[in-house]
Amino acid sequence: MEWASPWDLRQRGMKDAKRHRERVREAIRKNLHHLIVEEAIITSRGDRKVKVPIKYLTHYHFRYGDNWEGVGRGPGEPGDIIGRKSKPGDHPGQMDGAGDQPGDLIYEQEVSFDELTEIMLEDLNLPRLKDNEKKEVEAEGIRFDDVRRRGLIHNLDKRRSLLENVKRRASRGQSGVGRFDDRDLRYRVWTDVKKPTSRAAIYMLMDRSGSMSSEKRYIAKSFFFWLTRFLKLKYDQVELIFIAHDVRAEIVSEEDFFTVSASGGTRCSSAYHLAKQHLKEMHPPLSWNNYIFHFTDGDNLPSDNDEATELLTSLLKLCRMVGYGEITYRNFGAFYRPSATSGAAVGTERRLSSLYKALSTIESDHLILTSIDSRDEIYRTLQDFLAGDGRGAS
Amino acid sequence: MSRLLERQDQLIEIARRLGLDFYDIRFESVPWEVMDEIAAYGLPIRAQHWSYGRLFERNRVHGQMGLSKIYEIVINNDPVYAFLLDTNSEVENLLVTAHVAAHADFFKHNACFESTDRKMVTEAMEHAARIESYAEEYGAARVERIMDIALALERHIDPHKGVFRKGYPGRKVVERHVRSDQYADLTVEGVRLSKTKRVIGDKMPPHPERDLLWFLARYAPVENWERDILEMVREEAYYFYPQFTTKIINEGWASYWHAEIMKEYRELSPSEMVDFAALHGGVVQPGSGMSVNPYYLGYKIFVDVFHRYNDMYKAGESDIDGRAKLFEVRRHEDDFSFLRNYLTESLSEEMGLYTYAPACKEHPGGHDACPECEKIALDSRDLAEVVEGLLRPRYHYGMPRITIDDVAQGKLFLNHDEEIGRVLDREFAEKTMGYIFELWKAPILLSTRNDRGQRLELTMDEKGFHASIKGRNARRLS
Repeated sequence: MEWASPWDLRQRGMKDAKRHRERVREAIRKNLHHLIVEEAIITSRGDRKVKVPIKYLTHYHFRYGDNWEGVGRGPGEPGDIIGRKSKPGDHPGQMDGAGDQPGDLIYEQEVSFDELTEIMLEDLNLPRLKDNEKKEVEAEGIRFDDVRRRGLIHNLDKRRSLLENVKRRASRGQSGVGRFDDRDLRYRVWTDVKKPTSRAAIYMLMDRSGSMSSEKRYIAKSFFFWLTRFLKLKYDQVELIFIAHDVRAEIVSEEDFFTVSASGGTRCSSAYHLAKQHLKEMHPPLSWNNYIFHFTDGDNLPSDNDEATELLTSLLKLCRMVGYGEITYRNFGAFYRPSATSGAAVGTERRLSSLYKALSTIESDHLILTSIDSRDEIYRTLQDFLAGDGRGAS
Repeated sequence: MSRLLERQDQLIEIARRLGLDFYDIRFESVPWEVMDEIAAYGLPIRAQHWSYGRLFERNRVHGQMGLSKIYEIVINNDPVYAFLLDTNSEVENLLVTAHVAAHADFFKHNACFESTDRKMVTEAMEHAARIESYAEEYGAARVERIMDIALALERHIDPHKGVFRKGYPGRKVVERHVRSDQYADLTVEGVRLSKTKRVIGDKMPPHPERDLLWFLARYAPVENWERDILEMVREEAYYFYPQFTTKIINEGWASYWHAEIMKEYRELSPSEMVDFAALHGGVVQPGSGMSVNPYYLGYKIFVDVFHRYNDMYKAGESDIDGRAKLFEVRRHEDDFSFLRNYLTESLSEEMGLYTYAPACKEHPGGHDACPECEKIALDSRDLAEVVEGLLRPRYHYGMPRITIDDVAQGKLFLNHDEEIGRVLDREFAEKTMGYIFELWKAPILLSTRNDRGQRLELTMDEKGFHASIKGRNARRLS
């Protein structure tokens, strides 16, 4: 053969396949703000693969539009229905097999849930996370990093053993592989990889009052959904505390939190109060990184604003960060579709509540206030809150 | 293994005895990863691009799911390289050996392959190395971008002009002697020539140019290394072109001969014969519904030609017998002429061929609310239409026919002129024009038609893409 490398060392296909996968990820990243609010994803609770239509990856070339003509064979008379149009790209009439048509077609990529989460959360971090109580060290995994003459048979390093056999025999003037001797055998050994971990407690506060329309609750739940996934994926030791509130607040299970329905008025202070109490008892800031995320439409009882502000100020001292998200979405249309223009009004026409205004008087770079008015902005809000160190405060 | 080698030699000998003639074939048995890889790239080593990676991945997944298995890949080269899957059974390898021998014969003797580069295997390796060195020098991202562009345009070539072309003639005035009229030499005065002067090389391009990559490599303001990449990609596209236009006839030829060669081969055990019959049946299985297997189609036509010409020879209607006719067909035809000349009415009927089309005749472009538009109906069993339907996807390398018609004030004018009803995909046109704009660096205009037959002008310039309907009531569409 004129090409010298042995077949099993060839990596060209793998390399290009890898590059292709990178491009898939890039394409997904570009469209995250649309993808993450898909109803199907949020309601799937993360147990299946999602199909993501990716146009952006397509290798473009001049081609005909929808073309459903071709030649087939079989019985039938002119006019008989022989099939249906399927998705673009599945055109069965092409007789050519793999490789005959250049890569094209808008195609749907299957992405696992974790992969999607991972891509979207790549740049996100809990801000100001500090290693508390360094002594709490935990093995995170093992790494094979050495070879010895004694070991468990399961960890036999076949390649090295083979090599030793050949070497030993060569030293005696024999060629090739011969009988194996105990002296030939090499075993891989591992070391525990240890990494200091830090504990964090995340308080998720959600307004469930009557003014939280289903769309608003959808936005809040989507946000918490992704936040929860992010935390579970990225941090081993987090405790999640779910608090739902109207005029009263209660700690609920994760499941109840995401299926909560709306009723009653709003007193945000109730949630802050409960969070503070729980936090002091269970997660003293000395040994815990505490975070609070609160989503509401800001439709708070005006008389409660002062108390809420006060409580939040005191909470800030106990927390690495407090994020307050106000959902200003006011369009109750049932056929809402995220559109490219929905973000246009940002900053100009948003109506912010009196609570928001009251909270914005608090001077602290541990407090992040943000408002959100459409599904498309959920990703932006996540970025606002979880931009990591250096970019947190607004 | 040595038994297989011996048996392969026997088959090759039979093939030669039966009249097949080919360059030496180097067989190599490779694992499926390598098989999938070569299938994706088309050549053992070729410049890297993610689009091959995607094909590779797809082949791999299909292979793992058992949807498809690639038994063999044969490379048109001197020597011919043939790759066999290392998990093939012995009978599979024997069939494939015979099949490959016929492909090799076809590569050597079919007229379409006369000018193909028989050293493409090493050539493509050199291309790959050169492109890799460009990636090191100019950055992988820039090289990938040029590859994106080049591969998007690679099929827009002009097979009649060939790979190696000179530039257009420069501007000059030529004197021509022309007869005053066509029948002047019949009159008493005899031939009276009048002198005319003509300017050539004034128009750019002098004729509508089909070879987009050639034109852009030559005349677009690109850097030398970029030009080099465009030219390498173009060269490989020319190499693959004859394989594209002879898919049906080439596979038919190979399938016909693997059956013939195996018939002559006496060394098969009874159980191997059964296996062979099953395998052969699989290779030439007809397909159904909305697809026809090209192997089946080509195979059936060759069998039919053989019998018809034998009969005609016996009846004194033909100078040559069936076998001789087969070799003549193999020499001269490509898919176009093969189907037009040798797919007969009765054979088409026997195979049950038909054309199909959307059931709804009211909405040619399709209509979301119309339930009929979703359906596809059997359209016709007329031979001419079946042949045309089979050939339609094979014109112009499977691409819409786009030409460069004019260059004026730096703008590049493209034209897409085809039968009404074959409409360009707008988004793809936009993006592809974007590629061309990147090379040409000045506005690109493309004239095409919409599904109502109206002239449509697409423009790509610094401001982006827009489309308008040409004519008195011109209006902007986007």
